Amino acid sequence: MLEQNFKQYKPYFELLDQLFEVERKLDKIQEENSITRNLNKMKDIFENLFSNSSGADVGFTYHDPIGEQYNETRLDLEASIAGNSTENLIVTEVIKPIIRYKSGGSTLIARKGVVVVESKNTK
Amino acid sequence: MENTINFGIDLGTTNSAIAKFVKGDVVVFNNPLDYGRSTLPSVVYYKKDRIVIGNKAKEYLERDPKNVVGLFKRKMGTSESFQIKSINESKTPVELSAQVLKELKTFVNTGDSLESVVITIPASFDSIQSNATKEAGKQAGFKQVVLLQEPIAASLAYANMKKSKEMQDGNWLVYDLGGGTFDVALVRIKDGEMKVVDHEGDNFLGGSDFDRLIVEKLIIPKISEEYSFEDLENQMKSASGKYNAKYYSLLNQAEEAKIRLSAVSSAEIIVERMEDEEGNEVDMEITITKSEFNNLIKDSIDGTIEMIKTILTRNSLKSNDIQFNLMVGGSTFIPFVRQHVEEVLQIPSNCEIDPTTAVAVGAAYYAATKQKEITKEKSEKKKSSLSIKASYNKASKESDELFAARVQGNTDGLFYKITRQDGGFDSGLKPLSERINEDLPLVENTYNFFTLTIYDGENNVVETDIEPIGINSGFGISGQPLPEDICLEVDDYDNPGHTRLALIFERNTVLPTKRTLTFPINKPILKGNESDRLWINVYEGPQTSLPEANKLIGVIEISGKQVSRDIAKGSDLEITIMISESRDVTVSGYLNMSDQEFKNVFNPKERDTNVSLLKGQVLDLSSKLDEEIELATDKEDYETASALSKVKKEMESVAEEAEKLSDDDVTDKRYQLEDKKRKIAQEIDSATKNKRLQKATDHYYDIKSECEELIDASGNDHERKTFNDIVNQEASFMATKSSLKIQEKSDELQAIIGQIRWRTPEFLKGIFAYLIENQAKMNDQSQAKSLIDAGKFAVESQNWDRLREINFGLFDLMPRGSKDEISTKIGFGL
Repeated sequence: MLEQNFKQYKPYFELLDQLFEVERKLDKIQEENSITRNLNKMKDIFENLFSNSSGADVGFTYHDPIGEQYNETRLDLEASIAGNSTENLIVTEVIKPIIRYKSGGSTLIARKGVVVVESKNTK
Repeated sequence: MENTINFGIDLGTTNSAIAKFVKGDVVVFNNPLDYGRSTLPSVVYYKKDRIVIGNKAKEYLERDPKNVVGLFKRKMGTSESFQIKSINESKTPVELSAQVLKELKTFVNTGDSLESVVITIPASFDSIQSNATKEAGKQAGFKQVVLLQEPIAASLAYANMKKSKEMQDGNWLVYDLGGGTFDVALVRIKDGEMKVVDHEGDNFLGGSDFDRLIVEKLIIPKISEEYSFEDLENQMKSASGKYNAKYYSLLNQAEEAKIRLSAVSSAEIIVERMEDEEGNEVDMEITITKSEFNNLIKDSIDGTIEMIKTILTRNSLKSNDIQFNLMVGGSTFIPFVRQHVEEVLQIPSNCEIDPTTAVAVGAAYYAATKQKEITKEKSEKKKSSLSIKASYNKASKESDELFAARVQGNTDGLFYKITRQDGGFDSGLKPLSERINEDLPLVENTYNFFTLTIYDGENNVVETDIEPIGINSGFGISGQPLPEDICLEVDDYDNPGHTRLALIFERNTVLPTKRTLTFPINKPILKGNESDRLWINVYEGPQTSLPEANKLIGVIEISGKQVSRDIAKGSDLEITIMISESRDVTVSGYLNMSDQEFKNVFNPKERDTNVSLLKGQVLDLSSKLDEEIELATDKEDYETASALSKVKKEMESVAEEAEKLSDDDVTDKRYQLEDKKRKIAQEIDSATKNKRLQKATDHYYDIKSECEELIDASGNDHERKTFNDIVNQEASFMATKSSLKIQEKSDELQAIIGQIRWRTPEFLKGIFAYLIENQAKMNDQSQAKSLIDAGKFAVESQNWDRLREINFGLFDLMPRGSKDEISTKIGFGL
């Protein structure tokens, strides 16, 4: 199941990374042209890229793990640990979001998120 | 059972890999916890209650050096050991290597039991180091360990790729530049025997050094030039520095830029989300060119060239005595490395094998030539003597859920591991005891499946009776299923003047749920014009019924009075329908052209009946009823006709009352009327259901026989297959007794018919003749004339492909209205 080859979808992932960046930038600004709507529409399109044999929607979504707890059991993130401590780590910077492959009710990690984590204790 | 070893392991300083020889080819196994990659970082992390090996351990390497060990291969064969703080024990390089080897066993998904294996060692290993490697293999549970030198392994990978196992006598170099170490070896073949003659190396040179150089020598100076920082480099590199987190983020981008630069001439690095000391937001795009990068690593590469020169001198060899320089290790993907080494030494760089897996691949080829030497003790499958009783919540709204289990049987020396099937979680290897307690992190709104695996001390799987652990997160907890279909009313393009229902959510869909659909509108909405209207009507009830027979649960009316500008026909209307757990229905319509959203929330307990919509529906229903009565009478279907006539009277009274109702009526009258209307519609619906079903069925069989004939005459294999697929489903869609479903299948057959016809000369000629007749109506007379002339020529020369194109072209010239009349009651349709 995990052998699923997602390499061929790399261009999609690159587009999703860009959408994520746009979304992050939009969060900070006030704008009147409802760009968020177009953004959400694009996210929708990615979520419903294909359909499987039973007609359910199949596609990709991204997830921003900012602020989430981190430890070595999390395989959905590739982390660089900053600071001095490795206790109580939280995600402080997201370089790339987690991309999940969604097919009906089940999901798979299609591309790990790339993050920097730091200890809450030193914050 | 195979008699040769077949398995090869590259036990590397920084990365390891495992491969198997299968029927003449070698398969490199993927890392099951890091898919897409086939390597395992040779790093071990000890936590109090678990051992983590590989990528996750590597992340902690620099930050938690007291508990994480890497690069232990350099210490193989020494008496040195590593003190591990968390478990208060020391671990030898042999024990650590054994952990890596055991982890590699879990990569093998072919069901083989691994007892014999070839493990590679550096050319520099002496006999003590070699024996230590063998010992590591034994500790990992291998009964037979055969060693092979890495440069020989790489050479074998090359020789086998070339399929010339007998290589010519002579010398070559194996240049191995990996993530963190560099090795170069001189390999010689003489009388069929291959051996490493000499070697050199640098244990502290590799790809990660190049990433660091990019950040330190290129990026930091460029940032410092434009923004004001005091000692930025130090602030980034020091663990307590203000910008330490940023440093890792830049290293990451640097690595990506490095990889890109192997293919393109420049790469961008974006620096943002940081402030300089004066509070200015840093926002830079730094371009790194290939030549900048090449200059950066030149010194390091020159260092490797010097080592090769030393080897050549020591062995009294000249460049032209060397056949080629075989490139191995991920960093030899860098074009500059290949070119520069070749230019300076004048020895051709050989880049024909995959540098990341070459050593493991070569080891597997070697393993295929080695006999297994283990006496076949009947490898008795470890009988499951363990019984595990698990207890956990099968549904949860938390971000993690506690999993508890009680283990019966002897747990001594056993370990367990829990992984999530989407690949996002791995508990690490933990000692097994009578009780297991583990917090399992859940992905929201999905089924989370976990696997609990028990291993013996050598990482062989021990069978148990436990089933996969399934936990449903988020939905489905208090979420109730929908009792009925939820549909949207749309104009029925197949049936002009009528509307039909499009299914939005199927019955039993679990709440909450949401869906967005986009339709091009089929009529313009002019600003200020009240009679231009769009309707978003959401119904609850079977999709197969008439819209009027279902319950209207949400409605939005958009008229010309509300729009901020003229909305053109064909522009998009985006409809979002959301149903909450408590079944509140939120409907929104968004007009792209005016960037306006119309939104309303409908509560299932409060009725919302739109008077003008009701009036329209009553009118429609009356005429539909008259139509049906007439039809039934014509067909001498007196049973239906009499059933419908009974409804007629009631219909008349409803119509009369509706007519009297003012648009702003506040009484309950409209609700009563709405109910009556619905009842009438249901009656019409059930009285005419059979008729519609019969019509759809007859139509299907007509189309089917027509399609069959056409396929027999001029269909292709694909069309025949599609046809057969549909016919094979016949029993099941006929059994639904849904005229819509049957119609759908007729449409699919119709599409095949269309496809075939547009290839047949007779049909194409017929269409062409029809178009010629209508030439006078066409929009652009001169173009029409030239197309018709060309068409006549195509007919003469029997160029049917050309004729088809011409027909399409001529169709485009026909005035729009004459193509087909569509109904625009709702404003969009299917």
